[in-house]
Amino acid sequence: MSWKPRWRVRSVAGSSLVELPMTEEAQGLYRLMTWFSPAFPVGAYTYSHGIEFAVETGRVRDRDSLCDWVGFIVQQGAGRIDADLFLRTYRAVRDGDVDALVDTVEVGSCLRGSAETALESSAQGAAFLRAVASSWPHPGLTAWQTALAADDVEPAYAVAVAAAAHHDIAAGPALTALLQAFAANLISAGVRLIPLGQTDGQRATAALAPLVQASVAAALLRPAADLGSASAMVDWTSMRHETQYTRLFRS
Amino acid sequence: MSGVDVALTAAPATGLQDPGNDVGQTGPMAASHSVHGAARLVYRLRDGRTALADLYQRDPQRVLFPRVPQAEPETAVLVTTSGGLVGGDNLQVSVTAGADTQVLVTTQAAEKIYRSSGADCRIETDLCVANGAWLEWLPQETILFDGARLRRQTRVDLRTGGRLLAGEMTVFGRTASGERFSHGLLNDRWTVRVGGQRRWMDAVHLADALSEALNAAAGFDGAVACATLIYVAPDSAQRLELARALLPESAPIVSAATLVNGVLLLRWLARDALQLRRAYSDFRRTFRHRVAGLPDALPRLWSI
Repeated sequence: MSWKPRWRVRSVAGSSLVELPMTEEAQGLYRLMTWFSPAFPVGAYTYSHGIEFAVETGRVRDRDSLCDWVGFIVQQGAGRIDADLFLRTYRAVRDGDVDALVDTVEVGSCLRGSAETALESSAQGAAFLRAVASSWPHPGLTAWQTALAADDVEPAYAVAVAAAAHHDIAAGPALTALLQAFAANLISAGVRLIPLGQTDGQRATAALAPLVQASVAAALLRPAADLGSASAMVDWTSMRHETQYTRLFRS
Repeated sequence: MSGVDVALTAAPATGLQDPGNDVGQTGPMAASHSVHGAARLVYRLRDGRTALADLYQRDPQRVLFPRVPQAEPETAVLVTTSGGLVGGDNLQVSVTAGADTQVLVTTQAAEKIYRSSGADCRIETDLCVANGAWLEWLPQETILFDGARLRRQTRVDLRTGGRLLAGEMTVFGRTASGERFSHGLLNDRWTVRVGGQRRWMDAVHLADALSEALNAAAGFDGAVACATLIYVAPDSAQRLELARALLPESAPIVSAATLVNGVLLLRWLARDALQLRRAYSDFRRTFRHRVAGLPDALPRLWSI
Protein backbone atom coordinates (compact mmCIF):
# COMPACT_ATOMS: atom_id res chain seq x y z
CA MET A 1 0.00 0.00 0.00
CA SER A 2 2.28 2.76 -1.16
CA TRP A 3 0.62 5.98 -0.31
CA LYS A 4 2.95 8.94 -0.41
CA PRO A 5 1.80 12.45 -1.13
CA ARG A 6 3.70 13.62 -4.18
CA TRP A 7 5.30 16.91 -3.23
CA ARG A 8 6.43 18.95 -6.19
CA VAL A 9 9.49 21.06 -5.71
CA ARG A 10 10.51 23.82 -8.07
CA SER A 11 13.14 26.47 -8.04
CA VAL A 12 12.23 30.15 -8.26
CA ALA A 13 14.85 32.89 -8.50
CA GLY A 14 17.50 30.79 -6.80
CA SER A 15 15.37 29.91 -3.78
CA SER A 16 13.52 26.66 -3.31
CA LEU A 17 9.79 26.79 -2.98
CA VAL A 18 7.66 23.86 -1.98
CA GLU A 19 4.34 23.78 -3.68
CA LEU A 20 1.60 21.77 -2.02
CA PRO A 21 -0.86 20.98 -4.78
CA MET A 22 -3.38 19.48 -2.32
CA THR A 23 -3.94 16.41 -4.41
CA GLU A 24 -6.81 14.17 -3.49
CA GLU A 25 -4.35 12.07 -1.54
CA ALA A 26 -3.12 15.01 0.46
CA GLN A 27 -6.67 16.08 1.21
CA GLY A 28 -7.49 12.56 2.30
CA LEU A 29 -4.47 12.44 4.56
CA TYR A 30 -5.47 15.75 6.09
CA ARG A 31 -8.96 14.48 6.83
CA LEU A 32 -7.77 11.22 8.32
CA MET A 33 -5.30 12.98 10.59
CA THR A 34 -8.00 15.35 11.75
CA TRP A 35 -10.67 12.71 12.30
CA PHE A 36 -8.38 10.44 14.27
CA SER A 37 -6.65 13.16 16.23
CA PRO A 38 -7.44 12.95 19.96
CA ALA A 39 -8.84 16.49 19.56
CA PHE A 40 -11.65 15.27 17.30
CA PRO A 41 -14.73 15.25 19.54
CA VAL A 42 -15.75 11.57 19.63
CA GLY A 43 -14.66 11.09 23.24
CA ALA A 44 -12.48 8.06 22.46
CA TYR A 45 -10.45 8.64 25.61
CA THR A 46 -13.45 7.75 27.80
CA TYR A 47 -13.54 4.11 26.58
CA SER A 48 -11.20 1.31 27.62
CA HIS A 49 -13.00 -1.63 25.94
CA GLY A 50 -12.82 -3.60 29.18
CA ILE A 51 -9.11 -2.93 29.79
CA GLU A 52 -9.99 -1.21 33.05
CA PHE A 53 -11.25 -4.54 34.41
CA ALA A 54 -8.37 -6.47 32.80
CA VAL A 55 -5.94 -4.21 34.69
CA GLU A 56 -7.98 -4.51 37.90
CA THR A 57 -7.70 -8.30 37.75
CA GLY A 58 -4.03 -8.33 36.77
CA ARG A 59 -4.57 -9.71 33.28
CA VAL A 60 -3.03 -6.57 31.85
CA ARG A 61 -0.17 -5.39 34.07
CA ASP A 62 2.81 -4.17 32.01
CA ARG A 63 3.83 -3.11 28.55
CA ASP A 64 4.09 -6.63 27.15
CA SER A 65 0.75 -7.84 28.45
CA LEU A 66 -0.89 -4.60 27.28
CA CYS A 67 0.63 -5.00 23.84
CA ASP A 68 -0.55 -8.63 23.57
CA TRP A 69 -4.02 -7.75 24.81
CA VAL A 70 -4.56 -4.80 22.47
CA GLY A 71 -2.92 -6.63 19.57
CA PHE A 72 -5.38 -9.49 19.98
CA ILE A 73 -8.34 -7.09 20.08
CA VAL A 74 -7.20 -5.48 16.84
CA GLN A 75 -6.55 -8.76 15.04
CA GLN A 76 -9.17 -11.11 16.42
CA GLY A 77 -11.51 -8.98 18.48
CA ALA A 78 -13.54 -5.85 17.78
CA GLY A 79 -10.83 -4.71 15.34
CA ARG A 80 -11.60 -7.70 13.11
CA ILE A 81 -15.34 -7.07 13.19
CA ASP A 82 -14.92 -3.32 12.72
CA ALA A 83 -12.62 -3.84 9.75
CA ASP A 84 -15.33 -5.90 8.05
CA LEU A 85 -18.04 -3.39 8.92
CA PHE A 86 -15.83 -0.61 7.61
CA LEU A 87 -15.19 -2.33 4.27
CA ARG A 88 -18.79 -3.41 3.78
CA THR A 89 -19.94 0.16 4.39
CA TYR A 90 -17.23 1.65 2.24
CA ARG A 91 -18.10 -0.60 -0.70
CA ALA A 92 -21.85 -0.13 -0.28
CA VAL A 93 -21.53 3.67 -0.33
CA ARG A 94 -19.08 3.61 -3.21
CA ASP A 95 -21.37 1.35 -5.25
CA GLY A 96 -24.54 3.22 -4.28
CA ASP A 97 -25.92 -0.03 -2.84
CA VAL A 98 -28.54 1.24 -0.42
CA ASP A 99 -29.73 -2.22 0.68
CA ALA A 100 -26.19 -3.28 1.57
CA LEU A 101 -25.68 -0.04 3.50
CA VAL A 102 -28.90 -0.44 5.46
CA ASP A 103 -27.99 -4.05 6.20
CA THR A 104 -24.49 -3.14 7.37
CA VAL A 105 -25.74 -0.36 9.64
CA GLU A 106 -28.08 -2.89 11.25
CA VAL A 107 -25.42 -5.58 11.57
CA GLY A 108 -23.02 -3.03 13.06
CA SER A 109 -25.53 -2.07 15.73
CA CYS A 110 -26.40 -5.71 16.57
CA LEU A 111 -22.97 -7.29 16.59
CA ARG A 112 -21.89 -6.32 20.10
CA GLY A 113 -20.74 -8.52 22.93
CA SER A 114 -21.69 -6.34 25.87
CA ALA A 115 -23.71 -3.30 26.84
CA GLU A 116 -20.61 -1.15 27.18
CA THR A 117 -18.89 -2.11 23.94
CA ALA A 118 -22.22 -1.41 22.23
CA LEU A 119 -22.23 2.06 23.81
CA GLU A 120 -18.57 2.59 22.93
CA SER A 121 -19.30 1.97 19.28
CA SER A 122 -22.66 3.71 18.88
CA ALA A 123 -21.82 6.81 20.94
CA GLN A 124 -18.58 7.35 19.03
CA GLY A 125 -20.34 6.69 15.73
CA ALA A 126 -22.99 9.30 16.48
CA ALA A 127 -20.45 11.84 17.76
CA PHE A 128 -18.23 11.27 14.75
CA LEU A 129 -21.09 11.90 12.31
CA ARG A 130 -22.12 15.06 14.13
CA ALA A 131 -18.59 16.43 14.09
CA VAL A 132 -18.00 15.57 10.43
CA ALA A 133 -21.35 17.03 9.39
CA SER A 134 -20.60 20.33 11.06
CA SER A 135 -16.97 20.70 10.01
CA TRP A 136 -16.61 18.65 6.79
CA PRO A 137 -20.10 18.78 5.31
CA HIS A 138 -20.88 16.60 2.33
CA PRO A 139 -24.35 16.37 0.75
CA GLY A 140 -24.48 12.56 0.62
CA LEU A 141 -23.37 12.21 4.19
CA THR A 142 -25.86 14.79 5.39
CA ALA A 143 -28.72 12.99 3.65
CA TRP A 144 -27.65 9.70 5.21
CA GLN A 145 -27.37 11.30 8.62
CA THR A 146 -30.89 12.69 8.31
CA ALA A 147 -32.23 9.26 7.36
CA LEU A 148 -30.48 7.65 10.34
CA ALA A 149 -31.80 10.29 12.72
CA ALA A 150 -35.34 9.74 11.43
CA ASP A 151 -35.03 6.06 12.37
CA ASP A 152 -33.32 6.90 15.65
CA VAL A 153 -30.26 4.87 14.62
CA GLU A 154 -26.75 5.49 15.92
CA PRO A 155 -24.40 3.72 13.54
CA ALA A 156 -21.35 1.80 14.71
CA TYR A 157 -18.20 3.93 14.74
CA ALA A 158 -16.55 1.92 11.95
CA VAL A 159 -19.66 2.30 9.79
CA ALA A 160 -19.79 6.07 10.33
CA VAL A 161 -16.11 6.50 9.51
CA ALA A 162 -16.39 4.43 6.33
CA ALA A 163 -19.39 6.42 5.12
CA ALA A 164 -17.51 9.70 5.64
CA ALA A 165 -14.26 8.42 4.15
CA HIS A 166 -15.55 6.84 0.96
CA HIS A 167 -15.72 9.86 -1.32
CA ASP A 168 -12.10 10.89 -1.41
CA ILE A 169 -10.07 8.54 0.73
CA ALA A 170 -8.89 5.10 -0.37
CA ALA A 171 -10.17 2.18 1.71
CA GLY A 172 -6.76 0.82 2.75
CA PRO A 173 -5.33 4.01 4.26
CA ALA A 174 -8.64 4.89 5.92
CA LEU A 175 -8.94 1.47 7.52
CA THR A 176 -5.31 1.65 8.62
CA ALA A 177 -6.06 4.97 10.31
CA LEU A 178 -9.19 3.59 11.99
CA LEU A 179 -7.40 0.56 13.43
CA GLN A 180 -4.33 2.59 14.40
CA ALA A 181 -6.53 5.05 16.27
CA PHE A 182 -8.38 2.20 18.00
CA ALA A 183 -5.12 0.52 19.04
CA ALA A 184 -3.50 3.78 20.16
CA ASN A 185 -6.56 4.71 22.20
CA LEU A 186 -6.55 1.38 24.02
CA ILE A 187 -2.81 1.64 24.64
CA SER A 188 -3.42 5.10 26.05
CA ALA A 189 -6.12 3.69 28.36
CA GLY A 190 -3.62 1.05 29.53
CA VAL A 191 -0.92 3.67 30.07
CA ARG A 192 -3.25 5.59 32.39
CA LEU A 193 -4.56 2.50 34.19
CA ILE A 194 -1.50 0.33 34.79
CA PRO A 195 0.17 2.99 34.86
CA LEU A 196 2.99 3.11 32.34
CA GLY A 197 5.26 5.93 31.16
CA GLN A 198 4.42 7.75 27.95
CA THR A 199 7.49 6.28 26.27
CA ASP A 200 6.35 2.76 27.03
CA GLY A 201 2.98 3.63 25.57
CA GLN A 202 4.57 4.88 22.35
CA ARG A 203 6.74 1.76 22.16
CA ALA A 204 3.63 -0.36 22.46
CA THR A 205 1.88 1.60 19.71
CA ALA A 206 4.95 1.27 17.50
CA ALA A 207 5.14 -2.46 18.16
CA LEU A 208 1.57 -2.87 16.94
CA ALA A 209 2.26 -1.26 13.55
CA PRO A 210 2.94 -4.50 11.63
CA LEU A 211 -0.07 -6.09 13.23
CA VAL A 212 -2.39 -3.27 12.19
CA GLN A 213 -0.99 -3.50 8.68
CA ALA A 214 -1.55 -7.26 8.61
CA SER A 215 -5.11 -6.77 9.90
CA VAL A 216 -5.93 -4.37 7.09
CA ALA A 217 -4.43 -6.68 4.48
CA ALA A 218 -6.37 -9.65 5.86
CA ALA A 219 -9.64 -7.72 6.00
CA LEU A 220 -9.35 -6.65 2.35
CA LEU A 221 -9.30 -10.32 1.32
CA ARG A 222 -11.70 -11.79 3.87
CA PRO A 223 -14.88 -13.51 2.62
CA ALA A 224 -18.11 -12.34 4.24
CA ALA A 225 -18.70 -15.84 5.68
CA ASP A 226 -15.64 -15.47 7.91
CA LEU A 227 -16.96 -12.49 9.86
CA GLY A 228 -16.41 -12.93 13.57
CA SER A 229 -14.15 -12.51 16.56
CA ALA A 230 -12.38 -14.76 19.06
CA SER A 231 -11.84 -12.34 21.95
CA ALA A 232 -13.85 -14.23 24.56
CA MET A 233 -11.92 -12.84 27.53
CA VAL A 234 -12.21 -9.28 26.26
CA ASP A 235 -15.98 -9.72 26.10
CA TRP A 236 -15.85 -11.09 29.63
CA THR A 237 -13.81 -8.16 31.00
CA SER A 238 -16.21 -5.76 29.35
CA MET A 239 -19.23 -7.49 30.91
CA ARG A 240 -17.57 -7.53 34.31
CA HIS A 241 -16.57 -3.88 33.96
CA GLU A 242 -20.28 -3.01 34.21
CA THR A 243 -20.19 -3.83 37.92
CA GLN A 244 -16.60 -2.79 38.68
CA TYR A 245 -16.60 -0.72 41.86
CA THR A 246 -14.35 2.18 40.88
CA ARG A 247 -14.40 3.14 37.24
CA LEU A 248 -12.68 5.86 35.27
CA PHE A 249 -13.89 4.68 31.87
CA ARG A 250 -17.30 4.23 30.28
CA SER A 251 -16.30 0.81 28.91
CA MET B 1 -28.19 -39.80 -1.35
CA SER B 2 -29.05 -39.57 2.31
CA GLY B 3 -31.48 -41.65 4.25
CA VAL B 4 -35.17 -41.85 4.69
CA ASP B 5 -37.70 -39.06 4.75
CA VAL B 6 -40.25 -39.49 7.45
CA ALA B 7 -43.37 -37.40 7.17
CA LEU B 8 -46.06 -37.61 9.77
CA THR B 9 -48.17 -34.78 8.48
CA ALA B 10 -49.83 -33.80 5.26
CA ALA B 11 -47.44 -31.19 3.96
CA PRO B 12 -44.15 -31.74 5.69
CA ALA B 13 -41.86 -30.10 3.20
CA THR B 14 -43.43 -26.68 3.10
CA GLY B 15 -41.30 -24.06 4.71
CA LEU B 16 -38.30 -26.33 4.81
CA GLN B 17 -35.81 -25.89 2.03
CA ASP B 18 -34.61 -29.02 0.38
CA PRO B 19 -31.35 -29.46 2.23
CA GLY B 20 -29.88 -30.88 -0.96
CA ASN B 21 -29.73 -27.38 -2.36
CA ASP B 22 -26.89 -26.58 -0.02
CA VAL B 23 -24.47 -29.10 -1.41
CA GLY B 24 -22.73 -26.51 -3.53
CA GLN B 25 -21.92 -24.39 -0.51
CA THR B 26 -20.12 -27.06 1.42
CA GLY B 27 -16.93 -26.74 -0.56
CA PRO B 28 -15.09 -28.75 -3.12
CA MET B 29 -14.33 -31.58 -0.73
CA ALA B 30 -17.98 -32.28 0.02
CA ALA B 31 -18.30 -35.96 -0.67
CA SER B 32 -21.36 -37.42 -2.31
CA HIS B 33 -22.08 -39.41 0.84
CA SER B 34 -22.57 -36.22 2.90
CA VAL B 35 -25.71 -36.31 4.96
CA HIS B 36 -28.37 -33.64 5.11
CA GLY B 37 -30.45 -34.22 8.17
CA ALA B 38 -33.39 -32.08 9.08
CA ALA B 39 -36.01 -31.76 11.75
CA ARG B 40 -38.95 -29.44 11.83
CA LEU B 41 -41.23 -29.13 14.81
CA VAL B 42 -44.31 -26.96 15.04
CA TYR B 43 -46.30 -26.67 18.23
CA ARG B 44 -49.76 -25.16 18.57
CA LEU B 45 -52.19 -24.78 21.38
CA ARG B 46 -54.97 -27.40 21.15
CA ASP B 47 -57.75 -27.47 23.76
CA GLY B 48 -55.62 -25.29 26.01
CA ARG B 49 -52.62 -27.64 25.82
CA THR B 50 -49.41 -27.51 23.85
CA ALA B 51 -49.53 -30.08 21.08
CA LEU B 52 -47.33 -31.06 18.19
CA ALA B 53 -49.00 -29.74 15.04
CA ASP B 54 -46.37 -30.59 12.46
CA LEU B 55 -43.35 -32.84 12.39
CA TYR B 56 -40.84 -33.52 9.67
CA GLN B 57 -37.66 -35.47 10.15
CA ARG B 58 -35.01 -36.65 7.82
CA ASP B 59 -32.08 -38.92 8.63
CA PRO B 60 -29.76 -38.67 10.35
CA GLN B 61 -31.84 -36.24 12.38
CA ARG B 62 -34.61 -37.92 14.39
CA VAL B 63 -36.89 -36.65 17.11
CA LEU B 64 -38.00 -38.45 20.27
CA PHE B 65 -40.81 -37.37 22.55
CA PRO B 66 -40.10 -38.60 26.06
CA ARG B 67 -42.67 -38.56 28.82
CA VAL B 68 -41.90 -35.72 31.17
CA PRO B 69 -43.34 -34.56 34.48
CA GLN B 70 -46.55 -32.61 34.11
CA ALA B 71 -45.03 -29.31 35.14
CA GLU B 72 -42.47 -29.51 32.34
CA PRO B 73 -43.05 -28.00 28.89
CA GLU B 74 -43.75 -30.32 25.96
CA THR B 75 -40.35 -31.85 25.32
CA ALA B 76 -38.63 -32.96 22.14
CA VAL B 77 -35.25 -34.67 22.02
CA LEU B 78 -33.17 -34.50 18.87
CA VAL B 79 -31.03 -37.48 17.97
CA THR B 80 -28.32 -37.52 15.35
CA THR B 81 -28.41 -41.18 14.41
CA SER B 82 -25.12 -41.06 12.54
CA GLY B 83 -23.38 -40.37 15.85
CA GLY B 84 -21.82 -37.14 14.62
CA LEU B 85 -21.06 -35.00 11.61
CA VAL B 86 -18.20 -35.11 9.14
CA GLY B 87 -17.12 -32.43 6.70
CA GLY B 88 -19.87 -31.69 4.17
CA ASP B 89 -22.71 -32.79 6.43
CA ASN B 90 -25.66 -30.47 7.00
CA LEU B 91 -28.21 -30.37 9.76
CA GLN B 92 -31.24 -28.10 9.71
CA VAL B 93 -33.46 -27.76 12.70
CA SER B 94 -36.54 -25.60 12.91
CA VAL B 95 -38.71 -25.23 15.98
CA THR B 96 -41.87 -23.14 16.11
CA ALA B 97 -43.56 -22.51 19.41
CA GLY B 98 -47.03 -21.25 18.50
CA ALA B 99 -48.97 -18.72 20.55
CA ASP B 100 -49.13 -19.55 24.27
CA THR B 101 -47.35 -22.90 23.92
CA GLN B 102 -44.56 -24.14 26.22
CA VAL B 103 -41.82 -26.12 24.52
CA LEU B 104 -38.43 -27.52 25.45
CA VAL B 105 -36.05 -28.95 22.88
CA THR B 106 -32.82 -30.66 23.80
CA THR B 107 -30.54 -33.34 22.33
CA GLN B 108 -29.99 -36.91 23.36
CA ALA B 109 -26.21 -36.66 23.45
CA ALA B 110 -23.33 -34.36 22.71
CA GLU B 111 -23.02 -33.49 19.01
CA LYS B 112 -19.69 -34.69 17.74
CA ILE B 113 -18.05 -32.86 14.87
CA TYR B 114 -15.38 -35.13 13.43
CA ARG B 115 -12.16 -34.18 11.76
CA SER B 116 -12.80 -32.92 8.23
CA SER B 117 -10.67 -33.56 5.17
CA GLY B 118 -11.54 -30.08 3.92
CA ALA B 119 -15.28 -29.42 3.70
CA ASP B 120 -17.22 -27.54 6.36
CA CYS B 121 -20.22 -28.99 8.08
CA ARG B 122 -23.20 -26.77 8.67
CA ILE B 123 -25.77 -26.66 11.39
CA GLU B 124 -28.64 -24.25 10.94
CA THR B 125 -31.23 -23.76 13.61
CA ASP B 126 -34.34 -21.61 13.36
CA LEU B 127 -36.29 -20.86 16.50
CA CYS B 128 -39.64 -19.12 16.14
CA VAL B 129 -41.46 -18.01 19.26
CA ALA B 130 -44.97 -16.63 19.02
CA ASN B 131 -46.72 -14.25 21.35
CA GLY B 132 -47.20 -15.73 24.83
CA ALA B 133 -45.03 -18.76 24.06
CA TRP B 134 -42.11 -20.15 26.07
CA LEU B 135 -39.32 -21.95 24.22
CA GLU B 136 -36.23 -23.54 25.72
CA TRP B 137 -33.56 -24.49 23.19
CA LEU B 138 -30.95 -26.25 25.25
CA PRO B 139 -29.00 -28.86 23.33
CA GLN B 140 -26.17 -30.74 24.96
CA GLU B 141 -22.63 -29.69 24.13
CA THR B 142 -21.03 -29.72 20.71
CA ILE B 143 -17.62 -31.38 20.71
CA LEU B 144 -15.21 -30.15 18.07
CA PHE B 145 -12.70 -32.89 17.34
CA ASP B 146 -9.28 -31.71 16.28
CA GLY B 147 -9.56 -30.79 12.60
CA ALA B 148 -13.32 -30.26 12.72
CA ARG B 149 -14.81 -27.58 10.48
CA LEU B 150 -18.16 -26.22 11.59
CA ARG B 151 -20.26 -23.31 10.43
CA ARG B 152 -23.25 -22.92 12.70
CA GLN B 153 -26.11 -20.43 12.49
CA THR B 154 -28.80 -20.02 15.08
CA ARG B 155 -31.60 -17.68 14.05
CA VAL B 156 -34.24 -16.53 16.48
CA ASP B 157 -37.49 -14.95 15.37
CA LEU B 158 -39.41 -13.87 18.42
CA ARG B 159 -42.74 -12.11 18.38
CA THR B 160 -43.13 -9.41 20.99
CA GLY B 161 -44.54 -11.19 24.02
CA GLY B 162 -42.74 -14.48 23.33
CA ARG B 163 -40.04 -15.80 25.66
CA LEU B 164 -36.92 -17.71 24.74
CA LEU B 165 -34.13 -19.29 26.78
CA ALA B 166 -31.52 -20.61 24.36
CA GLY B 167 -27.95 -21.69 24.71
CA GLU B 168 -25.04 -23.67 23.34
CA MET B 169 -22.01 -25.30 24.89
CA THR B 170 -18.95 -25.89 22.76
CA VAL B 171 -16.01 -28.09 23.74
CA PHE B 172 -12.66 -27.63 22.00
CA GLY B 173 -11.42 -31.18 21.42
CA ARG B 174 -12.00 -34.51 23.13
CA THR B 175 -10.58 -33.01 26.24
CA ALA B 176 -11.02 -36.11 28.40
CA SER B 177 -8.39 -37.83 26.30
CA GLY B 178 -6.21 -34.73 26.22
CA GLU B 179 -7.06 -33.79 22.63
CA ARG B 180 -7.26 -30.10 21.76
CA PHE B 181 -9.02 -28.38 18.88
CA SER B 182 -5.77 -27.10 17.37
CA HIS B 183 -6.71 -26.83 13.71
CA GLY B 184 -9.98 -26.55 11.83
CA LEU B 185 -12.73 -23.97 11.84
CA LEU B 186 -15.52 -22.70 13.97
CA ASN B 187 -17.75 -19.91 12.70
CA ASP B 188 -20.65 -19.66 15.10
CA ARG B 189 -23.38 -17.08 14.48
CA TRP B 190 -26.48 -15.95 16.27
CA THR B 191 -29.12 -13.60 14.93
CA VAL B 192 -31.99 -12.54 17.15
CA ARG B 193 -35.03 -10.78 15.72
CA VAL B 194 -37.72 -9.41 17.96
CA GLY B 195 -40.97 -8.32 16.30
CA GLY B 196 -39.22 -8.66 12.94
CA GLN B 197 -36.37 -6.30 13.88
CA ARG B 198 -32.80 -7.53 14.20
CA ARG B 199 -31.77 -6.86 17.78
CA TRP B 200 -28.61 -8.82 18.47
CA MET B 201 -26.02 -10.78 16.55
CA ASP B 202 -22.99 -12.73 17.56
CA ALA B 203 -20.18 -14.12 15.45
CA VAL B 204 -17.37 -16.22 16.83
CA HIS B 205 -14.67 -17.06 14.35
CA LEU B 206 -11.84 -19.43 15.14
CA ALA B 207 -9.60 -20.57 12.31
CA ASP B 208 -6.00 -21.07 11.26
CA ALA B 209 -3.90 -20.29 14.33
CA LEU B 210 -6.47 -21.84 16.64
CA SER B 211 -4.14 -22.68 19.50
CA GLU B 212 -2.95 -19.11 19.61
CA ALA B 213 -6.49 -17.73 19.94
CA LEU B 214 -7.57 -20.41 22.40
CA ASN B 215 -4.55 -19.77 24.60
CA ALA B 216 -4.23 -15.98 24.29
CA ALA B 217 -5.05 -14.07 27.48
CA ALA B 218 -7.48 -11.88 25.52
CA GLY B 219 -8.77 -14.88 23.56
CA PHE B 220 -10.04 -17.98 25.36
CA ASP B 221 -7.19 -17.91 27.91
CA GLY B 222 -6.68 -21.67 27.82
CA ALA B 223 -10.36 -22.55 28.15
CA VAL B 224 -11.35 -25.89 26.66
CA ALA B 225 -15.06 -25.20 26.75
CA CYS B 226 -17.38 -22.23 26.46
CA ALA B 227 -21.08 -21.58 26.67
CA THR B 228 -23.44 -18.87 25.56
CA LEU B 229 -26.98 -18.46 26.84
CA ILE B 230 -29.54 -15.83 25.90
CA TYR B 231 -32.83 -14.93 27.45
CA VAL B 232 -35.08 -12.85 25.22
CA ALA B 233 -38.39 -11.85 26.72
CA PRO B 234 -40.38 -8.77 27.68
CA ASP B 235 -38.75 -8.97 31.14
CA SER B 236 -35.16 -9.73 30.06
CA ALA B 237 -33.88 -6.33 31.20
CA GLN B 238 -35.33 -6.86 34.68
CA ARG B 239 -33.55 -10.23 34.98
CA LEU B 240 -30.00 -8.93 34.64
CA GLU B 241 -29.51 -8.62 38.39
CA LEU B 242 -30.88 -12.12 38.98
CA ALA B 243 -28.60 -13.52 36.31
CA ARG B 244 -25.55 -11.85 37.85
CA ALA B 245 -26.49 -13.12 41.29
CA LEU B 246 -26.78 -16.72 40.05
CA LEU B 247 -23.32 -16.79 38.46
CA PRO B 248 -20.36 -18.12 40.41
CA GLU B 249 -18.19 -15.28 41.67
CA SER B 250 -14.76 -16.58 40.80
CA ALA B 251 -12.38 -19.16 39.33
CA PRO B 252 -12.23 -21.80 37.99
CA ILE B 253 -15.30 -20.79 36.00
CA VAL B 254 -15.20 -17.49 34.20
CA SER B 255 -18.72 -16.17 33.66
CA ALA B 256 -20.59 -12.92 33.23
CA ALA B 257 -23.90 -11.44 32.18
CA THR B 258 -24.84 -8.36 30.21
CA LEU B 259 -27.81 -6.84 28.44
CA VAL B 260 -27.41 -5.83 24.80
CA ASN B 261 -30.34 -4.23 22.95
CA GLY B 262 -32.80 -5.95 25.27
CA VAL B 263 -31.17 -9.39 25.00
CA LEU B 264 -29.89 -10.86 28.26
CA LEU B 265 -26.60 -12.54 27.39
CA LEU B 266 -24.50 -14.88 29.52
CA ARG B 267 -21.11 -16.41 28.82
CA TRP B 268 -19.05 -19.07 30.50
CA LEU B 269 -15.47 -20.21 29.91
CA ALA B 270 -13.72 -23.06 31.69
CA ARG B 271 -10.59 -25.14 31.51
CA ASP B 272 -12.60 -28.20 32.41
CA ALA B 273 -15.55 -29.24 30.25
CA LEU B 274 -17.39 -30.96 33.09
CA GLN B 275 -17.11 -27.96 35.36
CA LEU B 276 -18.49 -25.80 32.61
CA ARG B 277 -21.39 -28.15 32.05
CA ARG B 278 -22.16 -28.12 35.75
CA ALA B 279 -22.03 -24.32 36.06
CA TYR B 280 -24.15 -23.85 32.94
CA SER B 281 -26.67 -26.48 34.05
CA ASP B 282 -26.95 -25.07 37.56
CA PHE B 283 -27.63 -21.66 36.16
CA ARG B 284 -30.28 -22.62 33.69
CA ARG B 285 -32.29 -24.84 36.03
CA THR B 286 -32.48 -22.14 38.68
CA PHE B 287 -33.01 -19.38 36.16
CA ARG B 288 -35.95 -21.11 34.41
CA HIS B 289 -37.47 -21.76 37.79
CA ARG B 290 -37.16 -18.14 38.85
CA VAL B 291 -38.33 -16.49 35.64
CA ALA B 292 -40.93 -19.00 34.41
CA GLY B 293 -41.97 -20.97 37.50
CA LEU B 294 -40.84 -24.19 35.82
CA PRO B 295 -39.29 -27.00 37.87
CA ASP B 296 -35.79 -26.34 39.18
CA ALA B 297 -34.58 -29.32 37.19
CA LEU B 298 -32.85 -30.47 34.03
CA PRO B 299 -34.12 -32.88 31.41
CA ARG B 300 -33.37 -36.44 32.61
CA LEU B 301 -30.95 -36.95 29.74
CA TRP B 302 -28.77 -34.23 31.19
CA SER B 303 -28.25 -35.84 34.55
CA ILE B 304 -25.44 -38.24 33.93
